Amino acid sequence: MNTPRKPLDPRVPTAAESGAQEAWVERAVALLDESARDLDAATLSRLNRARQTALASRRRPRQRWLIGGGFAAAALALVVAIGINQRAVPPPALSADVAAQEDLDALVGDDSPDLYENLDFYAWLDAQQQDGNG
Amino acid sequence: MLAGSIFMSGLDRMPDAPATPTDESPVLERFLRESERRALRMAELAAGNREEALDLVQDAMLGFVRHYAARPADEWPPLFWRVLDSRINDWHRRQRVRGRWLGWFDRAGDDDEHDDPIAAAPDPCEPGPLARLADSEAGIALEAALRALPLRQRQAFLLRLWEGLDVADTAAAMRCSEGSVKTHLWRALANLRNTLEKYR
Repeated sequence: MNTPRKPLDPRVPTAAESGAQEAWVERAVALLDESARDLDAATLSRLNRARQTALASRRRPRQRWLIGGGFAAAALALVVAIGINQRAVPPPALSADVAAQEDLDALVGDDSPDLYENLDFYAWLDAQQQDGNG
Repeated sequence: MLAGSIFMSGLDRMPDAPATPTDESPVLERFLRESERRALRMAELAAGNREEALDLVQDAMLGFVRHYAARPADEWPPLFWRVLDSRINDWHRRQRVRGRWLGWFDRAGDDDEHDDPIAAAPDPCEPGPLARLADSEAGIALEAALRALPLRQRQAFLLRLWEGLDVADTAAAMRCSEGSVKTHLWRALANLRNTLEKYR
């Protein structure tokens, strides 16, 4: 079976072309090597700094973790210390204390509990007696 | 098909790094030190000035160290060049956007589709465009010719022929297919030859 022949691909060089191409490409590569080798001192210094910066960025995350971990541990210790301190010395319940003190005064005083229960009546009686005297 | 012998020139520059994952800074530093000069020249050819090129290389080193330093050292070369290629592409894109705002368009462009392969085919009897030039003149001519190349062609030429990556690694570095690498490289060679002819 005859298959149609492909046209010659202009992208495929002959052996002679390849040899010629190799020669000038080799020279081009050598010239590029030379241009990279002959960089000035200032440029090389900048490259060195760029490299060191890049390498330092690799070490930095570990330092960040250490610093972050230290801060977290300190914060946790502070929270725990405050919690313990609050448990050891509970804050005074002022309103409860005042009410207890009033109850104690009522029990210990000379006035009978009856007086406290009918305080409004005794106040009115006192007012009537003062009006009668007046 | 291009002869393979000359395309191995950069392989002997690759560091003899261990093939196991490592985080040893000396190995990493050595790799970066051995790559940084060629990276700078590659970035300089793309950016057109050294300051921008130094910034691009520093960005590439940072990106490479952060993302790929933990990978096995024998995987580093294509990864490093991939990061640099990405930075160069980003820079190039920004420049194009800026150029649009300024009303200036890069006439060289990156459109490889309009190349005429027959017109660009090399003359088999010609020893080569750099053959008759002295080193200093040839260096200047080569630099100008490389700068005139579209970005993808230049990257294919530099990564494949100068850096010595194989086709698969060049494709990985350029994030394209192996066929695209071959096409870009072939066009780069044809364009370089045509441009350098003028310097004879």
